[in-house]
Amino acid sequence: MSKAAVVSLHQALKRCFQSLEQNQKVWNSVLEECGPLMSSLGNLAEQLLALHNVRIESTPLVRFPDLHERLRYKLLLAVDTVLGKLAEKMSTLQAVRDAVSNQVTAAFQVYEQHTDTLDLSTCLQRSAASPSVADMLEWQQDAERHYRQQYLRRKAFLQTLKPNDLSHLQKAPKNWESLAMPSGEDGISDALSRVSLFMDSP
Amino acid sequence: MHLKVLPLDLADVGTQRCRLGPGLMSSLNLRIGSPVLITVSEGDCLCTAWPRSDLAEGFLQFDTKCATTGMETNTFKDLSVSPGHIKAVHCPKLKSVRVNVVVQSMDFKKHSSASFIHELVKDMLRGVYVLEQHIVDVSYLKNQVELIVVQHLDSGDSVAGLITAKTSVDIGEIQTLNSYRSQLHKPSSISLGGMEDIYTSLKEILHLPLLYPGTLHKLGLSCPKGVLLIGPPGVGKTMLVRSVVKEVGASLVTVNGPVILGSRPGESEENLRKMFQQAREASQEGPCVLFIDEIDSLCPKRMGSTSAPQNRVVAQLLTLMDGIGSEGHFVIVGATNQPDVLDPALRRPGRFDREVIIGVPTLRQRKSILDLLSSNMSLCASVDLVALAEMTTGYVGADLSALCREAALQAILHSSQDSQEHTVDMKHFLEALKKVQPSCLRSSIGLTDFKPITWDQIGGLEDVKQKLKQSIEWPMKFPEAFVRLGLPRPRGVLLYGPPGCAKTTLVKAATCSSHCAFLSVSGADLFSPFVGDSEKALAQLFRQARACAPSILFLDEIDSILGSHPDSRAPHSVQSRVLSVLLNELDGVGLKTLERRGAERASREPEGFHEFHQEQQMEYQEVCNKDVMIVAATNRPDALDSALLRPGRLDKIIYVPPPDTEARLAILKICTKRMPLESDVSLEELAQQTHLFSGADLENLCKEAALLTLQEESMDASSIKHKYFLKSLQNMKPSLKVQQIESYQHLLTS
Repeated sequence: MSKAAVVSLHQALKRCFQSLEQNQKVWNSVLEECGPLMSSLGNLAEQLLALHNVRIESTPLVRFPDLHERLRYKLLLAVDTVLGKLAEKMSTLQAVRDAVSNQVTAAFQVYEQHTDTLDLSTCLQRSAASPSVADMLEWQQDAERHYRQQYLRRKAFLQTLKPNDLSHLQKAPKNWESLAMPSGEDGISDALSRVSLFMDSP
Repeated sequence: MHLKVLPLDLADVGTQRCRLGPGLMSSLNLRIGSPVLITVSEGDCLCTAWPRSDLAEGFLQFDTKCATTGMETNTFKDLSVSPGHIKAVHCPKLKSVRVNVVVQSMDFKKHSSASFIHELVKDMLRGVYVLEQHIVDVSYLKNQVELIVVQHLDSGDSVAGLITAKTSVDIGEIQTLNSYRSQLHKPSSISLGGMEDIYTSLKEILHLPLLYPGTLHKLGLSCPKGVLLIGPPGVGKTMLVRSVVKEVGASLVTVNGPVILGSRPGESEENLRKMFQQAREASQEGPCVLFIDEIDSLCPKRMGSTSAPQNRVVAQLLTLMDGIGSEGHFVIVGATNQPDVLDPALRRPGRFDREVIIGVPTLRQRKSILDLLSSNMSLCASVDLVALAEMTTGYVGADLSALCREAALQAILHSSQDSQEHTVDMKHFLEALKKVQPSCLRSSIGLTDFKPITWDQIGGLEDVKQKLKQSIEWPMKFPEAFVRLGLPRPRGVLLYGPPGCAKTTLVKAATCSSHCAFLSVSGADLFSPFVGDSEKALAQLFRQARACAPSILFLDEIDSILGSHPDSRAPHSVQSRVLSVLLNELDGVGLKTLERRGAERASREPEGFHEFHQEQQMEYQEVCNKDVMIVAATNRPDALDSALLRPGRLDKIIYVPPPDTEARLAILKICTKRMPLESDVSLEELAQQTHLFSGADLENLCKEAALLTLQEESMDASSIKHKYFLKSLQNMKPSLKVQQIESYQHLLTS
């Protein structure tokens, strides 16, 4: 009875880790794509700032009518485009987050279904080939929480970006970098490498 | 078996996990991840149970993500929990939950849309087990949202629940961290003695716009915006503001003059604007007080072009104060002890609407301050606070608290010597009184220190002593009799008489016998090479004396201060100007408003008779002794201006006569008290022979005789013989002359 429960739980955990592995790749690639977008955002902010400071009347460009407004409009349009692209990326990140979240919840639900037949000592059994059930559940939850937190922080950060606060916009690439939490990212990679033997087992 | 509480692993922060040993988990019948409620002395917190990764027993680590107030900042040092304090809770999935959100800054609250905050909070709460009235700490996310206070759960009959993606989150109130904290730390109010009336009026100003905003709006009233507190240092201006702010629950923004001033041009103004901005932000959430301490340093009189930066700061302050009404309401309270140096533009309605003068505490105020200060000291039954209040004339609140501290210190020092219990005795207070001087007299020119003298140390002159006692001691000792007979206390006393007849000593004795503040001034203190300086010094002296009334102001050798003769005096000499100041101070139109002390108080009925009696006694004291008493001494009364001698000024004129035979005998007895005399010495005979000798002469005679003994006999002579007295008497001449005495007596009669 308990054997069957363990097997089904292991199946669920395996499935979960597999999806986690895939999702991690997706997440990292999306984040990498965000980097250039962010730096272009910072670049645009710098251009806006320069435009704000320059007096076109005292340059040879004075002959072009409404140059200041036109340039500004153009730059703001560019900012909007970049922000739109970032929003797209965010929705991808959200999809990753939701996928991980669903998988982890599902795995935990499988555990909860079998709690009557699984005693604690079975859950805590570690072997050379596979970590204990408790550890794996913990890692999964940690990964899920990491993605949730990251998504939350990045989203809140994007929310604070406004075209009229140029200095903040200018510093955006740096601040975006600082939002990353390497410890969480490493934790997920660690967990995945720890379960690699377990995943390969039939 | 007890569990030792260890600090949480860094990786577990924000996970709501509690780490238990697996044995304990199975004995409590817990599954992995099942919610448990941990109760410790500080409160409780809801966690999910997880086995420790090293599977060790006997330890407990828990994350206080969802806990009661007071848990979140705790470090749980050396705490142990018994397994009985860990209980499994049933947590169904919640349908809906209502929460309050605490955010970091006002800025975030204003600039983010409600839907965004809602989304944020919902994401944060997902997967969290919550309990009603518990606080979810999300500060580890380093987001703008700090805390989420769970108000209400829709979970049927269970108290706890799990928030899932399907739970609808309802946000009630959004407040900033500062206001949340100030709400939490409810006032442990600072108590103040003797300031009830000022306290209530200040409280009213703060409360009025809060309680009746509609009414005020309807009446078209603009709320008062500023209060200026004026008073000498140490009376408790700052304390008053803090106390009122705590009582009302307002937030306090403090501005210090020196902190505002910067070195770059424009920096000071910028700092000032920043402070006002801060107050404005705080005022959007509740009442707010902007307190500018020592406002005189920030806002002195604007003068000329020499101090342009200073002028700009003043102008900035004025414009900022005018701009308050437009957005956000807060009250500005300024405190100063030199209102004269403030810019006059500041002191008009619309800026500082009200000026509250806090004077040096009166007797009754001192009593209530002492009551308050000593309420948490263990006092001996012998301590008489009324007597203490009477003794501490001129002490302000800060002095009184220093006095109590000193007395307690004395008690500790003494008790450690003879190992008794720690109670503060009256003698400790008296000891402390010697050390703690009233602060309003500290910088006074007239403060003198002398050896105390009793009446007994002055021989003879019973008549004069009696008169002095009448005018100085009686009003203090029997105030009710004076009030009953409608008898005012004399304003001034003039002692005159030949030199060396103990005029100064008499005054010393009088002050020692009554607990008055004593200021003594001579010509040397007053006169200065600068025009107007002497008058200013004298006026200052009177002001200080009034501040610590009842007090005695002693002008020794008054003839030298006021010039030798009225006719020979040049019309605009220093002396005549000093005289005019003196006349004005003695009998002027009134006092400056700044010197107001105490306040009219509605009489209330005290409970017991004894208390009532005491209360009345104190009231009489206050009525009777609110003035400064001038005591002047001179040996040339004829040189004084007649305007000074009329009733109402120096109205009691006492002649100190040269000692007669009996008085001389008494003086000789006192002088030879410490001298070993031969049995043949007849002091009576000496007294007979020393006609026209003054007290000082007699003292000199005794000294001479003793010196002669040493000279004639040897250095180890044991007693003074009569012949030496006679011998030294032959060498001495009396310093008084018959003619002189007669002229004094004529003055009296004519």
